Amino acid sequence: MTLVIVLKRIGMAFVTVCLATVMTFILLRLTPGNAIDGWARDYATQFGITLEEAYRRIAAMINYNPNEPLHEQFIRYISGLLQGNLGVSMVYQQITVNSIIANAMPWTIFVATISLLISFVIGMLLGVRMAWKRNSILEPSVSLFTVITSAIPDFIFAILLLVVFAYGLDWFPVNGAYDPFVTPGFNIDFIVSVLYYAAMPILTFVITNIGGWALMMKGNAVSILGEDYIIAAKARGISDSVIMNRYVMKNAMLPMITMLAVTFGGMLGGATLIENIFQYPGIGYFLGEATRTRDYTVMQGIMLFLSVTMIVANLIADLVYSKLDPRIKVEG
Amino acid sequence: MNENNIIEIRDLSIEFKLRSGTIRAVDHVSLDIPKGKVTALVGESGSGKSTLASAILNIVSAPGTIKNGSIFLNGEDILRYNANRLRHYRWSDVSMVFQAAQNALNPVMRIGEQMIETVLAHKKMGKPEIIEKASQLLDYVRLEPGRVLKAYPHELSGGMKQRVMIAFSLLLDPQLVILDEPTTALDVITQDYIFDILLKVHKEMNITMLLLSHDISVVARVADRIGVMYAGKIVELGETFEMFENAKHPYTAGLIQAAPSILDDVSENKSIKGSSPNLLNLPTGCAFHPRCEFSTDLCKLEQPRAISVGKDRLAACHLNEKGEMLA
Repeated sequence: MTLVIVLKRIGMAFVTVCLATVMTFILLRLTPGNAIDGWARDYATQFGITLEEAYRRIAAMINYNPNEPLHEQFIRYISGLLQGNLGVSMVYQQITVNSIIANAMPWTIFVATISLLISFVIGMLLGVRMAWKRNSILEPSVSLFTVITSAIPDFIFAILLLVVFAYGLDWFPVNGAYDPFVTPGFNIDFIVSVLYYAAMPILTFVITNIGGWALMMKGNAVSILGEDYIIAAKARGISDSVIMNRYVMKNAMLPMITMLAVTFGGMLGGATLIENIFQYPGIGYFLGEATRTRDYTVMQGIMLFLSVTMIVANLIADLVYSKLDPRIKVEG
Repeated sequence: MNENNIIEIRDLSIEFKLRSGTIRAVDHVSLDIPKGKVTALVGESGSGKSTLASAILNIVSAPGTIKNGSIFLNGEDILRYNANRLRHYRWSDVSMVFQAAQNALNPVMRIGEQMIETVLAHKKMGKPEIIEKASQLLDYVRLEPGRVLKAYPHELSGGMKQRVMIAFSLLLDPQLVILDEPTTALDVITQDYIFDILLKVHKEMNITMLLLSHDISVVARVADRIGVMYAGKIVELGETFEMFENAKHPYTAGLIQAAPSILDDVSENKSIKGSSPNLLNLPTGCAFHPRCEFSTDLCKLEQPRAISVGKDRLAACHLNEKGEMLA
C-alpha cells in the first residue's frame, strides 16, 4: 500500500465530507418551520404584539435575519466551519454547537463502542460454533433469537428493559449517564457509576445486534468450512481449536470488517431513539431535542459530525481490511 | 501383517448418503502399500480413488462415512485411533499432496507460518530449526526458500504451490506420501517438471508413495505397481510392466489402448465406448459389462471376484476364471 493510494483514499473521503456538508445544509433549509417561528409565536402571544413585530424584536435581540438569502446563510455557515465553528444553538443562544457535540459525543462513542465490541465478539463466537456443529441445539436457538430480536425494533426493547429492570425491579437507574453525587474524573466511583448507568443502553444494543452478527458469521464460516484448506489443515494434524480460530474464524471474519465500520456509523446516528428513551446525554439525545425544537444549527452541526464519523469509519475499515487480508491491496 | 507393507487396507467400504440414494464410493477394497515403492491407483473420475486415499488419513468428508473395513499401519487399525492419536498420526506417518493443491493452503497465513504451525502441532522444535528444515525441502523442490517462506499462497504460481505442497508433505519425514492427481490443472511442461521432482524425492529420500491419477501413461512412468479402479472396486492389481504387457481385465486393456504415445500412430488409439457408470444405479453383475466387448450372460448376472492371475497379480473378471486370457 503506497502513500499515494492512502492519500487518494483520504482525498475521496474529504470530497464525500464536502458533499455531506452541502446536503445537510440544503435538506434542512427545505424542511418547513424553524426554531425562531415557534419562539416568535410564543413571543407574540406573550406580549400581545403582531407576529411581524415579534420577528423584528427577536431578530434585533439575537442578531438573526429571517430574510437572509440562502446563499448568504451558506457562506456564513461555511466560513464558520472553516474556522472549526459550527455556530450557536438557535434556541439557547449562549450554547455553541461545538460544546454540545464535545459534551455528548464521548457518551455515545462509549456506549456504541462497548456494545459493538460485545455483540461482535459474542456473535462471531456463536456463529463459528453454529457452523462447526451443525446439528447442535445452538443453531435453532440462535436463529429463533435473531428472528425475534430483528423483527422487534430496538426502541421497543429499550422500553421493555426500562420497564422491567429500571421501574419494575429497580436494579438499574432510569436515566442519566452517571450518579450526580459522584465527582466526575478518573476515580473508581465515577467509572463504576458510568458503567452502571450505561448498562441498559448497552444491553439494548447488544441484544438487538448479536443475532445479526451470529448469522452473518455462520454463513461465512459455513462456506469457509467447505474450502479445501480446511480439510488440508485437518490432514496436517492441526487441532480443531486452531482450525476453528486461525483458519475458519480469521477467514470468515474478513468480510465483516467493513460491516463493522458501517454498523458503528449507523449506531451513532441510530442512537437517537434509544438515548431519548433512557434520557442518556449522548449525541442522539441532543439530535432528538434539536429536531423537536427545529434548532437548525444544532441539527446541521450534529448531522455533519455524524456523517464525518461515518466517512472516517469507512476509511479506516478500508485501510484496515487490506492489512488483514493479504490478498486485498488497496487500489486507487 | 506383512512387514514389507506400510499400509494394509482390508475390506474397506465408504458410503455417501445422498438425498437421491446411497452411493458406495469404495466397495470392499483391499490393498497393500509396500514399503519403498510407488503404488498407483488409476481410474476415471468418480471411480473412488480420492475417497479411498482420504480414508487413509481418515479425512473422508461429509456426507461420506466409512462403513466397514480396516486400515492397518504397523498392525494397528488407524480407523480405531482416538482423536488425539489420529491427529498425531496425520502428516507425521502419512502426508498428502492434494488434488486441489492450489487451495490447500490458508490464504491469510504466510507459507512459513503454516509450516511452523504444522511442525509444532506434532513436536517440540525451535523455530529456527523448523525454518532450516523447511528451507532445505523447498530448496530440494527447486524453490527459493527465502522468498517462498515469506510469501502468501496467492503470491505463488500454480506450479510453485504444487512444489510447496510437495515440500510440505515431506516436512515431518512421513512413511508414506499420498499424491492425489499431483499435476492436474498444470501445463504439460510443469507436469513433467513436477514428476521429475517426485521421482527424485522417491529415489533419493526413499519415500513410499501412493499416486492417484486418471492418466495411465503418466502412471506408467513412475509407478512400480498399479491398481485399476472402476466403480469403487479395484478390478486389477499388479506390477506396472506386467500389466502393460498383459492386461488381465478388459478395462485395463482399454485404458492402455486409449493412451496416446508419441511413437504410435494415433489412429491405433481406441477409446473405451460408453461413459462411466452412475454410482446410484450400478449395472447388475460386473459394473463394467455394458462397456465391455467380451461381456457374456454371466457378466450381467454375477459380480466377478478378484482372483489371483499370477505372482502378486489380481484381477476381477469372469474371463480369467474360464482361463481365457486377454490378448
